[in-house]
Amino acid sequence: MRVTEQMRYDSVANNLSQLSSRQAKAAQEAQSGLRVNLPSDDPIAAAQLARLAASQSQVAARRSTISSVRGDAELAESSLQQASDLMASAKDLAMQGGNGSLGANERATLAQQVKDIRDQLIGIANTKGTSGYLFAGSATETTPFSQSGAFNGNDDAHVVDIGNSTPSAVNASGAKAFTIAGGRDVFGDLDALYNALSSNDTTAIAASLDGIDRSRSQLTNAQTAIGITLNKLDASDSVQSAIDLQNSKSTADIGGADPAKAYSTLVQLNNALQQSVTVGKSILDLSAFKQF
Amino acid sequence: MAGLNNLLNVARDALTAQSYGLNVTGQNIANASTPGYVRRVALLETQNLGTQSGGGVRAAGLDRVTNDYIERRENQATGTASAATARDQTLASIEALFNDGAGTGLGSALNDVFASFSALATNPNDTTTRANVLAAAGAFVDRANQTGNTLSQMQIDLKQQAQDTVNQVNQRAQEIAKLDMQIAQATMQGDDASDLKDQRTQKILNMSGLINTHTFTDGSGNTVVQVAGTTIVDGQHARSLSLDMNADGSLKLLVDQPGGGGSEITQFLTGGKLAGIKDARDKDLFDVSQKLNTLVFDVASAINTQHALGAGTDGGTGRNLFDLGATSTNAARDVRVSVDVFDHPDRIAAASNVFSLPGGSDNAVALSKIFDTQVVFGNTKTAANAYGDIIGSIGSTRASSQRDVETQNAILSQVQSMHQSQSGVSLDEEMVNLTKFQSAYQAASKMIGVADQLMQTLLNTVGR
Repeated sequence: MRVTEQMRYDSVANNLSQLSSRQAKAAQEAQSGLRVNLPSDDPIAAAQLARLAASQSQVAARRSTISSVRGDAELAESSLQQASDLMASAKDLAMQGGNGSLGANERATLAQQVKDIRDQLIGIANTKGTSGYLFAGSATETTPFSQSGAFNGNDDAHVVDIGNSTPSAVNASGAKAFTIAGGRDVFGDLDALYNALSSNDTTAIAASLDGIDRSRSQLTNAQTAIGITLNKLDASDSVQSAIDLQNSKSTADIGGADPAKAYSTLVQLNNALQQSVTVGKSILDLSAFKQF
Repeated sequence: MAGLNNLLNVARDALTAQSYGLNVTGQNIANASTPGYVRRVALLETQNLGTQSGGGVRAAGLDRVTNDYIERRENQATGTASAATARDQTLASIEALFNDGAGTGLGSALNDVFASFSALATNPNDTTTRANVLAAAGAFVDRANQTGNTLSQMQIDLKQQAQDTVNQVNQRAQEIAKLDMQIAQATMQGDDASDLKDQRTQKILNMSGLINTHTFTDGSGNTVVQVAGTTIVDGQHARSLSLDMNADGSLKLLVDQPGGGGSEITQFLTGGKLAGIKDARDKDLFDVSQKLNTLVFDVASAINTQHALGAGTDGGTGRNLFDLGATSTNAARDVRVSVDVFDHPDRIAAASNVFSLPGGSDNAVALSKIFDTQVVFGNTKTAANAYGDIIGSIGSTRASSQRDVETQNAILSQVQSMHQSQSGVSLDEEMVNLTKFQSAYQAASKMIGVADQLMQTLLNTVGR
């Protein structure tokens, strides 16, 4: 084959430009630590990475949901614990009041204590969390229990997405914990005890004991329910965290460059480029004219 | 009978012929790197004196070392490579637009919208979480608008590029017709017109890069140039191409008819930059725009439908979150945050009905669940999967286009190499020619010296 100058130049230029572009790509891979910098680097991987990013975003949103609602749920649990403790105290007072040796004045004192408990309990039932009143259902801006013990809230669930197939309720039902909707009107039961103590009526005091007991177990049940919700939040969080981990791993596997391989490829191409420059120079130096 | 005088004549002819050879060598060396220059070979032949031998040498002009077959191959390869490169440039821009590596792309913006619904559910009555929904929706709309606008702008730019290319083709056709005329005149005057032919070959090659070009020589020796299957230069006459748009916005290539009007030749456009531009604009860009518009339209519609079912804290229901057209046409470019809710965080419908205000969160959860629902592409894909599909399809189109560019360039450089091997200047060869002609020239000078010496000897003897 007849070889001309232009062919030599072209071949040197072509080789150098091809090597340079491969070297630039290898350098980008080694520097960024990413194998897929553009969709065309690996289309299938790029599509997977986009889906993984979406999944990661959803997982992050769910985990953030879990940690946001967790505070209110814990507050609800401890509030219900206090409420149930208060009912236990009320029961103690009722037992004391049932003692036949007590006089009207002592019972009046006990009645006053029951009233204090009732007031505390109203306060607890009106506890506010980060998203408003905890026991008001969806009426989070309305004080759920008036001083008379009347309920102004509702029994709507506060639902969020924590990764379950159906939306999960994360609030404690104030209606079921404190009102007749749960079986007993807690404040009504305390009122009955208060009235019985105030009127010094031992029969009524004995009769109110059952209500107090039931109310207490209603509050304990509500506490258990929110406790179960908290467990669900924990379980969901560990599921989401496992997905998070798996997604991160997949993202690194699919999109990440193997550092050792990326670096050795880069070094290899650097050397090749260097050699190509040297060889190119000696090819271009070839000329009969220089010999004359 | 050859005498001393004849020896002088032979030597004189030799000097002329060898210096012609030196001259041609000089031309070759001077043009060693001129694009389109075809090396010349000095044609020397013996000069007959009637039937007698013993004549001198004569420079019979020069030969332009070309090969029509290789030239046609080079034209064709140039066309195919230019088409691939032009298409790849557009695909590179599209790819960059959809590169979500930095987490700032449309996909991330869409994910953020769904995340904002989730956050809304945790605290439906909080103004900040409500404002965040509006902010995320706004960011998504901005991203969609930017992407849609950029794609539209690219479509306009590509049409302009196609128009420029058509103008260049017409310009080249005029130039080639003019060169044909000059070559015809020069040939009539007995000139070899090599330089003009070089120029014409170069113009045709240049035209091949713009549009698929084919040449042949007709019966009367004229070079006929055809582009996209249509004769554009015939002898010394050039026709012109023009560009139009079909009703669907795709490009239409026409060749002007002598009697006015034009006939469509779009279907024969297979190579050159123009073909690459048309492919990129009317196929690749069209395809991506359509998918993007469908994605935006389908997702925004699904969100609207769900959002309209719920109630804002102000008690209002039936509001959309996005303003959209009736169809997906230009949805990415035209989607906006609905005027019903813009700047009104309280109107975001987190609750499913007015009775569960302000703490109801079921509609917010339902909105966030759209993420997992197949709402895109005829309810066959979730938003994230549809976006992944678009990314994957853009990536694989670009990857195959890059391979195409590499392959076509490799073919082109092989053909160029063949062409160079045939028609290019080799300085080594010219060095040898230079020495050859130089020695012959020196020898011819020596011959004159010898003839002169003989003549002197003769004159001295006779004159005594």
